Amino acid sequence: MGVATDTETVCHVPVAEGKSVQQTVDIVHKKLEQLGAVKHGSFCVDCETYHATGNASGQPSKLLYVMHNSETPLSCMALFEGGPCLIADANFDVLMVKLKSHFQNAKGHKVECRGSRYRYCDFLIKVGTVTMSSSARGISVEVEYCPCIVPGDCWNLMKEFMLSFLGTNVPELPSVFAAKPEGLFAPADCVDTMTQYLELFNKLRKLQISGSNVR
Amino acid sequence: MADAVSVGVNLDAFSHAISGIQALRSSVSRVFESLKDGMKNRDSLEGREKLFLAEFQDHLQAVNRDLSELERLSGLVGRPSESHPLHNSGLLSLDPVQDKTPLYSQLLQAYKWSNKLQYHAGLASSLLNQQSLKRSANQMGASAKRRPKVQPSTLVLPPHYVDDVISRIGRMFPDMNIELFRPNGTSAVLLVTLGKVLKAIVVMRSLFIDRTIVRGFNENIYSDDGKLDLWTKSQYQVFQKVTDHATTALLHYQLPQMPDVVVRSFMTWLRSYMKLFQASCQRCGRFLQEGLPPTWRDFRTLEASHDTCRM
Amino acid sequence: MEAPPVTVMPVTGGTINMMEYLLQGSVLDQALESLLHRLRGLCDNMEPETFTDHELVYLLKGQQGNPFILRARRSLSHPNAPWHLRYLGQPEVGDKSRHALVRNCVDVAASHSLPEFLNEMGFRMDHEFVTNGHIFRKGGMKIVVSKLSRVLVPGNTENTERLSLSYLVELSVLAPAGQDTVSEDMRSFAEQLKPLVHLEKIDPSKQRH
Repeated sequence: MGVATDTETVCHVPVAEGKSVQQTVDIVHKKLEQLGAVKHGSFCVDCETYHATGNASGQPSKLLYVMHNSETPLSCMALFEGGPCLIADANFDVLMVKLKSHFQNAKGHKVECRGSRYRYCDFLIKVGTVTMSSSARGISVEVEYCPCIVPGDCWNLMKEFMLSFLGTNVPELPSVFAAKPEGLFAPADCVDTMTQYLELFNKLRKLQISGSNVR
Repeated sequence: MADAVSVGVNLDAFSHAISGIQALRSSVSRVFESLKDGMKNRDSLEGREKLFLAEFQDHLQAVNRDLSELERLSGLVGRPSESHPLHNSGLLSLDPVQDKTPLYSQLLQAYKWSNKLQYHAGLASSLLNQQSLKRSANQMGASAKRRPKVQPSTLVLPPHYVDDVISRIGRMFPDMNIELFRPNGTSAVLLVTLGKVLKAIVVMRSLFIDRTIVRGFNENIYSDDGKLDLWTKSQYQVFQKVTDHATTALLHYQLPQMPDVVVRSFMTWLRSYMKLFQASCQRCGRFLQEGLPPTWRDFRTLEASHDTCRM
Repeated sequence: MEAPPVTVMPVTGGTINMMEYLLQGSVLDQALESLLHRLRGLCDNMEPETFTDHELVYLLKGQQGNPFILRARRSLSHPNAPWHLRYLGQPEVGDKSRHALVRNCVDVAASHSLPEFLNEMGFRMDHEFVTNGHIFRKGGMKIVVSKLSRVLVPGNTENTERLSLSYLVELSVLAPAGQDTVSEDMRSFAEQLKPLVHLEKIDPSKQRH
């Protein structure tokens, strides 16, 4: 625990016309560097999907996601879509192995997002390539404005910032924040961030299935 | 080497000069000896007179001779160099046993310090004379006699009066939470929590604001040992900037006769940071300027603008 | 029945295949003070630590086979501390000459949403109890002397009733599989506690019936 609480948003950047994923990432990097952002290490977010192998009550099985974030390297987050979530230490992965007769790992569903971190003033920007079954599927941009803990307060400010390097691809206020009356970023954990990554991953997965994102 | 030689010559001249002094002293005492003895023990009065005068003359001549000899020798000894900044104490450097008596190096050090101190004090006093920065009433009346009368009213206020003023200000601004601590003695330290935006630590001396530091809402206010952390600056550039501006505000809002008004004005000004992240700059209309939101608040209008836009 | 101890699945973090070596025994309430005194002398020089924990035992019933058991524990004396989730495997049969009970063990620190999350996973709470007592350490060994109390009204840890007139004494070590020398150390330590308490290798699965 003890993770800084602040405001951040994760969004999906469409691959530029006639460019590969890597080329588009390079363009975003270049724009950030022109702005004065400084590269500050790398990051990785991953997500495993599990489904219950038929429970006694016979309800349709829910998907259980187990995610890791290099920002909180000793933690592991487990969540049900729209349901409760659990923050645990890395031993939770071992527990899932023990539970494999009840929860099966959907191997083809493993998603990974890797990329570079940038710092600009009090902003933290992470540009990542989303990989599914070893092929690059899309680009994620995570922007974090560290000093502010109420997303609604600094949303306009963040939008202006994102406009300066993402152009027109600026997202709307993430639904995780809009849903909260206070709009307060969840204290002491990265639940909201991970929820946003999960939404992004699921969106990219659907794009992949419908085939509209092929090159 | 040259030093050794000149020292040797000097020493020689010294010993000569000393024996010269001795000779002079003995010849002078001989003069007085003969004067004291007078003219007795002589046969005839005339003979006595003559002899006495001749003797006296001889003695005086001897004194004269010794004196001129001494004068000559003193020319050889040479004057102590007046140009040395430490005057005669500079001769301490001639002491060969430096290990045992580091007197000379200490002396030099002390001399440098006192010189520097004088220089800086001079600069400071000329600077202070230019500033009209009156932080307490006792500077208003320059006369020293008035000082003790003014002091008790503003600098030494009973703690419960300060508590009272602060709690009244706290009630005025419901969105601002003011906690009062007295970690050391009677001086109060205020922890001001402004909405979910920032936390400010305000160090008071009586009702005068001495110092302030602003940090983010999610930053630590207490150090590891559980005490208020009065020193660590915010990790965020935006709050470092706000801290700078708040310090400027402290110097701006000054009314020595009514310190409670000053605290109230400062708090009113600080409260305008409620919309730190929501307000756009009143000058350029944008939210960000070099990655920072509008951190400046006008002292009169409380208008938000970027630090770079306010000029 | 249980997942085999060696895994072939990709694991991103955590310590795989930790084993708990366990010896158990009990003392009557009257003998508690002399046992504590003894332990203070034998164990590492540290502040004697006391604890009060609330443990909830959860079961996940599959279509066949034994239910999957998880133990969730929270500290009542430190309500802000993370929850402790524990999986304990079946005792290893194998070597009779081994002095301690050996079973697979996974310890997970978890956020306070644990009960809700376990429910969502399909687990159901089977029983709960409150345990309070003293904890000692000697090197890697942990000695817990605790009193178990029944929770009379579900969820209410204020209202409890002690289960017996004695204290449970447990000597345990967590070590990677295959380090059987630890059981030697445990045995010699247990020897030093005789005759105050006799620590033995007790198989819980054999006691259930």
